[in-house]
Parts: sequence; C-alpha cells; structure tokens
Amino acid sequence: MFKNEEMEINLGPQHPSTHGVLRVKLRLDGETVTHCRPMIGYLHRGVEKICENQSFFQGQVWTDRMDYCSAVANNLGWVEANEKLLGITVPRRAHYIRTLLNEFNRIASHLIWLGTHAMDIGALTVFLYAFREREDVLDINEAFCGSRLTTTAFRIGGLREDLPPGFEKLVHKFLAKFSSCLEEYENLLTENRIWKKRTVGVARLSAEDAIALGVTGPMLRAAGVAYDIRKAFPYAAYAEMDFEVPTRTEADTYARYQVRMAEMRQSARIIQQCMDGMPEGPVMAKLPKILRSEVNEVYHATESPKGEIGYYLVGEKGSLNPYRFHVRAPGFINLQSLPKMAEGGLIADVVAAIGSLDIVLGEIDR
Amino acid sequence: MNKFLRTLIPADIAKGLSVTGKHFSQVFFTANRRKVPFHIVSEYPEVPAKVQPRFRGRLTLLKDEQGEIKCVCCLACEKICPTQVITIEKGKKEGRKMPFPVRYDFEMERCIFCEFCVESCGFDSIILNHQFELAAYNREDFSLGTEGLGQNMFELSPTGKFSVADD
Ligand code: SF4
Ligand code: SF4
Repeated sequence: MFKNEEMEINLGPQHPSTHGVLRVKLRLDGETVTHCRPMIGYLHRGVEKICENQSFFQGQVWTDRMDYCSAVANNLGWVEANEKLLGITVPRRAHYIRTLLNEFNRIASHLIWLGTHAMDIGALTVFLYAFREREDVLDINEAFCGSRLTTTAFRIGGLREDLPPGFEKLVHKFLAKFSSCLEEYENLLTENRIWKKRTVGVARLSAEDAIALGVTGPMLRAAGVAYDIRKAFPYAAYAEMDFEVPTRTEADTYARYQVRMAEMRQSARIIQQCMDGMPEGPVMAKLPKILRSEVNEVYHATESPKGEIGYYLVGEKGSLNPYRFHVRAPGFINLQSLPKMAEGGLIADVVAAIGSLDIVLGEIDR
Repeated sequence: MNKFLRTLIPADIAKGLSVTGKHFSQVFFTANRRKVPFHIVSEYPEVPAKVQPRFRGRLTLLKDEQGEIKCVCCLACEKICPTQVITIEKGKKEGRKMPFPVRYDFEMERCIFCEFCVESCGFDSIILNHQFELAAYNREDFSLGTEGLGQNMFELSPTGKFSVADD
C-alpha cells in the first residue's frame, strides 16, 4: 500500500528554528534524513561590495550588521585589519578596553545561542534566564558606545571615547552575579534527562571532518581540537591574559553546549583580568587626517564567538577605500558541516544540529 | 540498578524546577514590599525607559545662545555619513559671517544612528539626542529639515502620532 519512496521537504526559510532565513532542503526516508543541503542567500545585501565603495572609516558600520549578535567582535576584526593595512599602532589601554568589550560580547552571543538553542529543542525556560543576563551586557554596550546591538564600538586607531564614569560599577555588578547565573542554567539543563536525550550523541562531527571542512570555533573545540585564535595568534590584549581553551572530545551537540558554557566562564575571567590590569594612558593613536593604505593586502583573523572571522583587505598603496574586501565568515563555513551532521540522523535532530552550529544568517549571506 | 533508580526518581527535573520555584517565590512573596524588586521586567510604555548618557538617538541640530543655528556648512557630516542621509545647501544670511545652512535635510529612515556625523563635526553643532521612539506610519514623516512643524531637527520628534500629513 505504501510506496517506499523518498520525500523531499524544505525546512525554512521561514522556520523559527533555522535562526533567520536559512532554507534546508531535506530528502527523507521515513524519519531519516538521507540528503541535506542548506540553501543560503536570502539575506544577501552585498556588504563586501558596499565596503569597497566606502572609506576605511565608514566600513565599520557594515560589520555590525553582518553578525548582529556579536557586533563588537566583528568591529574588532575590522578595525584591527584596517590598522594593519594602514600601519597604525594602537595604545595599550585601547587594547585592554577592546578585549574587555569583546569578551562581554562573547558572553552575550553565547547567551543568545543558549536561549535559542534550548528553545529549539524544547527547553523554553532557559531562554528567559539567558536573556536576563544578556540585557545587562547590552546595557554595558550602551553605556560604552551608546548603542545596544549595532555597536560601532571602536575606531581605527583606538577608541572614540574612554570608558564612561560608572562603568566599573556596571562590570563588577555583572561579574558578581554571573557565575551564579551560569549555575542556574546548568541546573536547568546539564543533567536534565530530556535535554540529554536530545543532545548526547546527536549530530556528531569528528575532528577530521571538522578540520577538512574548515570548521572553527566551539564546534571544532567540542571535537577535541584546542584551536583558538586568541591563543594561537594573539591579538588585542589576549597575549597578556591568562585563560584556558575548553575542549571536549565527544564532538556531539552536548559537548558543544559544555564547551560554550565553559567559554563563558573563561570570558568572565578575562573580563576580571582586564579590569584589574587596566593600564592608564590615551585611547586613541595619532592618525593622519586622511586614511590611506600603506601596504597592499592584509588578512586578519580574530576569534569571534562563532569561530574564526577573517577580514581580507586589498588596498592599493595610497588608496582611500579597499580595492577588494572579503570576509571569512565563521557561520558560512561552519554551515557546510550541516550535511555531515544531519545525514543519516532523524529529522528532529536537524534542528538540534542547526542550533549547535550557532549561525547568524546576516553573516552567512552578508 | 542505579540507572533504574535514576529513571524512577526525577532528581534532574526537580533540580530544574527548584530554580524556577526559587525565582517564582522570590517575586511572588516580595511583590510591592521590597525597595529593589526581584522582578526585572519594566512596565515600559507606562514607565518611561531610561537610557544611558551616551545613547545614540535621533540627529538634532543645535542653536547657540542667540538662537542661531550653529552649523557652518563645512559639509564634513555630509561626507562621512555612511548612508548619505544628510543633504546641506550652503547659503548666506544677513548679519552672519559664517555660511548658513539654507537647507539641512535629514532622512531619518535610512539613518543608522552611528554617530559618525557628530564625531566629524568640528563645531559641535549637532548631537544625537536620547529619543528612540521614532516609528511613524508614513515615509514623509522621516524627512526632517530646518523648517516645518513637528518635523524639524531642533525639537524632539512627536511620538504616538499617525502622520504629520494628517494635521
Ligand atoms: S548617525 Fe550615522 S547614518 Fe545617521 S546621519 Fe549621522 S552619520 Fe549618517
Ligand atoms: S559637520 Fe557640523 S558644521 Fe559641518 S556641516 Fe555638518 S553640522 Fe554643519
């Protein structure tokens, strides 16, 4: 009576658990996924091309809008790539403040991931708790640069302004309660049997596959490869910070959850060190009136919450805007591993796999 | 055996529930009785939201003590704006040495509130104010200039309006 036929369905682009406008083409044999292809491009705005037509200074606002959950980390990559291109040295205090805000941003991004990922799988409660703390991080963003999400936090050569008065109080208030908040999330999830059933052993991606596909960030570290650009090629003030790179070897969704939770703890540690060791001094380097590129091309990689975000800039010597601009978006490259993780599994686990990738479509489609 | 007991006694679920219960009781039993309430939700439209001093809101032109527009038409803000939403027309005014902006058009719908214009202005003649309730029904309501009621760049934008064109 029933024909043994494969069925093709679309997951998305308006599916709430695809985190934006991702469409996944699935071929199903019953409940098992036999073929899985992510289709992207629904949010393409041509950021790379736009930046080529704008000055080095103006380009930063577009990086905010790529990965809008971790705008500060994107800004940091952009300004550092430009400083390399323009040959500018940044004062030490600016480096510290950048590191501080970048780590806050990592916490905010991971909290968004935790909330939405848990909600996709069915744990709605965590979402509310995670967004409570994220609100505090956004307040800190707002206190520093005036905007909550699209921060445009840094400037080429340093920072626009020093820390505002009362900033330390905000940071200490956050740090004082954050570890107990993390415990709350873990109480809700870590041993929860439903959570474990939905994540342990689901969407495996081995270290070999991850490296072959160019996957970076917590995805790679959950497969047991301790590769973190903050340690491997230190930038900003990370060389002076003392922190660990958490890894797991199980390479499943649960391991990625553990890695990200541990990363938030390390971020809090780095923030504490930044606050303690904050040097005095100026926050802005002396800049020429008009920014002209000094060298021909740079590639600068930084560790965004999602993985390695690299900015490739070609600027002919003396030019006012980049001749070519390319972003190595971590989400874009991590997404390639979705077929590897989803094929052979159940369709319900595709949602868990997408969640554990922690993708933001603004960055994938650019 | 252990596994069986663990399945039977839902300690993990109880742990999660205790977190929820703790927060629930904190809020429930201390409602209206504590100076600093446990609940963190603000009743936004009734209670105005507070913003930080550096908040980036709508672009505002400043006037000096004599009520003159401070802007001297150096066009730095027009050039630096990443979305090109500022259009300035230079002009002259009686009894004023500096150039005077005959037109200072600002298309708010495309402004991304980046504050580059304020940063580039060497004469401190513009700021971003603290207003964030800027939604409107018509596109025309987003074109701001130096003239016009409710649409000029010196005062706050009217909130809760339907359209300037309706009046
Ligand atoms: S805030 Fe930014 S987008 Fe808006 S007018 Fe100023 S420079 Fe242009
Ligand atoms: S930068 Fe300032 S002074 Fe120059 S045109 Fe703009 S508002 Fe006027």
